[in-house]
Amino acid sequence: MSIMRRIFRWLDVRIGAGEIIEKELTGYLLPPNINIWYSMGSILLFLFALQVVTGMLLLVYYVPDADKAFTSVTAIMNRVPFGWLIRLCHVIGSNMMVLILFFHMLSVLFMGSYKKPRELNWLSGFILFLLVMSLTLTGYLLPWSQLSFWATTVTTNSVGVIPFVGQYLVEFLRGGVLVGPPTLGRFFALHVAVLPAAVALMVGVHLFLLKRVGISAPPFGCAETKNTWQGESYRYEAHPGGIPFFPDYLLQDLTSIAVCMACFFALLFFDPSIFFPKDAFIPADQFRTPEHIKPEWYFLANYQTLKLFPSEIIGLAVQGVAILFLALLPFIDRGAERHPLKRPLFLLLSIGGIMVWIGLSIWGHYS
Amino acid sequence: MGVDDRRKFLAYCLGGIAAVAAAGIIYPLFRYLSPLSSQLESSKVTIPEGAVREGEANFFQYAGSAAVLVHHPGGALVALSAVCTHMGCIVQWQKDRQEFFCPCHGGRYTSDGAVISGPPPRPLPKLPFAVANGIITVG
Amino acid sequence: MILSPGKRTLEKLILTCTFLFMTACPVVAADTAGNVCVQCHGTLPGRLGEPVAQWRGSIHAANGIFCNGCHGGDPNDSANAMSPARGFLGVPKENAIPAFCGRCHVGVLQSYQASAHATAQGKEKPHCVTCHSNHHVVKASLDLINEKSCGRCHSYDVARQIKEAMAGVETRIGMTEQRIATFKGKGTDTSRLEQRLFAGRNRFHSLAHVVDVNLITKNTAEINAELDAIDGALEDFSKLEGKKKIIGAAAIVIVLAAAALLAMYRRTYD
Repeated sequence: MSIMRRIFRWLDVRIGAGEIIEKELTGYLLPPNINIWYSMGSILLFLFALQVVTGMLLLVYYVPDADKAFTSVTAIMNRVPFGWLIRLCHVIGSNMMVLILFFHMLSVLFMGSYKKPRELNWLSGFILFLLVMSLTLTGYLLPWSQLSFWATTVTTNSVGVIPFVGQYLVEFLRGGVLVGPPTLGRFFALHVAVLPAAVALMVGVHLFLLKRVGISAPPFGCAETKNTWQGESYRYEAHPGGIPFFPDYLLQDLTSIAVCMACFFALLFFDPSIFFPKDAFIPADQFRTPEHIKPEWYFLANYQTLKLFPSEIIGLAVQGVAILFLALLPFIDRGAERHPLKRPLFLLLSIGGIMVWIGLSIWGHYS
Repeated sequence: MGVDDRRKFLAYCLGGIAAVAAAGIIYPLFRYLSPLSSQLESSKVTIPEGAVREGEANFFQYAGSAAVLVHHPGGALVALSAVCTHMGCIVQWQKDRQEFFCPCHGGRYTSDGAVISGPPPRPLPKLPFAVANGIITVG
Repeated sequence: MILSPGKRTLEKLILTCTFLFMTACPVVAADTAGNVCVQCHGTLPGRLGEPVAQWRGSIHAANGIFCNGCHGGDPNDSANAMSPARGFLGVPKENAIPAFCGRCHVGVLQSYQASAHATAQGKEKPHCVTCHSNHHVVKASLDLINEKSCGRCHSYDVARQIKEAMAGVETRIGMTEQRIATFKGKGTDTSRLEQRLFAGRNRFHSLAHVVDVNLITKNTAEINAELDAIDGALEDFSKLEGKKKIIGAAAIVIVLAAAALLAMYRRTYD
């Protein structure tokens, strides 16, 4: 132990490590009434790291060539020792990430944490959400299966309903009139380079904002739940007498990550093909449209919405408006009250919205 | 038991779990990244050189499926997979035509495995082989 | 909403395909685009148009075998589609049917030629179409051997014996096929096994066309050995799955233990 102390001292006298620890870890105080929902961000960070690591490992054997992509993925799943484990981690990790992202956003929504002065936190988080969705979409094409090919055909096609520029945009996205080898090239570049870099950057921004503005206190268990900040001047929201991030809340974060991993392993080992329909293991064939292609569970509501409207452009516009509304929520909902039970209109709308989303997803699944 | 003792105990337990977890990560990772060739057992089949006469083909089992060794008139040897690339039937050797022929859908290949006609999408894959001291080793 | 594949071009189909259409697209949707045989004959009434509709439900259509696969001609050039210079053969004469189908189904033709069906005296010999029909030819099954069909020409006795001799192997083939499909649906690379099963099944079915009970019985042992080998490989996959589950259970226990310990550790700071 003393050798560790000496290394620490060596560092401390040179770069002031102790000061950093005091300021960022042990002295970084969180609200005393903090709850488990505050650990969603840490889980997401962990899952993102897992995606990066497993993604890099998949790159060792994956070949981004329309002729070889499917065979290389089949080889990873069957011939490469533990290739199945790496790939399943990546697939289940992506689904888990979307799920936890939903939880993270819902907790922020219900605790009113997006309200001023945290508009930018919400906005950067929302951009992260869109980036993660783009990652799942681009990653879907890479195995070059029937599922990949036709799902990408359909999703890129929906851009075509945008007036005037739609058709050109579709071609631009695909790198050709139809989904084909050029599409794989650009989706591969987006998936392994552009989007992960963008996510890393936005995570940096998101965390910077979190540290700069200070963490919000949950509106539960205290008498005053109204927002006190009036916009007069910059103020770091400190929580004197709160619980330290290290070691207290870090242990909570780690506990949450471990529980999350238990669910992760349960899926991975006991229902490994949960996210794979049959078409995921049939090589892409542009001359054969599969009978039933459904999008991933998190796009089912969008899918069903598109089916409900008589014209595609209306269906797409409705979704665009909904996304824009959510992105700009902190600028629209400007009330000072943060406790959900004291915001009946908000509660009604958000629970209604979630119900509609779940309902549409179930409907989409069984339709 | 005081708080310090309890922490110490829990830390040891967690350290143990961390060690198991690390092993559980490092072992698959090492296997995943190890060279593939050393892991796939290379099966070898040996055939005496005299067993295949000129103009004939000798069928044998190789790596769990059918393979064939052709002795061209003139002496050249070639080892091929005998599995038709169309649907997987076993091709037949037609000595009079010096061709391979698939009885399932009529695919035809040259004695080198190239497609002549019929539905096969690809030539018959060639197998590596070596001849030494009158023994042909495929694989 | 069902798309009518014949009326849409490939490009148009894919460009207009949305999630809305996706759910209802038939299996072979884009195939017939640009095929002039299908485009023309598909719209014709009666005898000239019927084959297209019949073919659509056939195993040939499902496997991408078009009109020209059997009848020759050029499906890309409407002016010369039926020109003999482009290899157009038209309708075969009845006695030429076995050779017509036998261009692809070589092994079956060989067996058929050795059969009592082919060597029968008289004008009306049964041929491929007699049992398999023509354009609506479907995946062969034992159902093709039935009293009604065989009884058109002779007593059902021998046919029944053949059917009974084949039944055991047929059932096994069907079950193995199912098991392979299950593993394939889970991402297991079954291409090797699919090929072996196809080859074995094909050999067995080809031989059946000799319509000789003894030959079928003799061949049963051989095909059963092949099926044993395939089932053995599938059994290995099952065992591997079992092993993965044990590892998985251990992994879950470990992370849950970690979660419990971490939670306890945290409580020491309360």
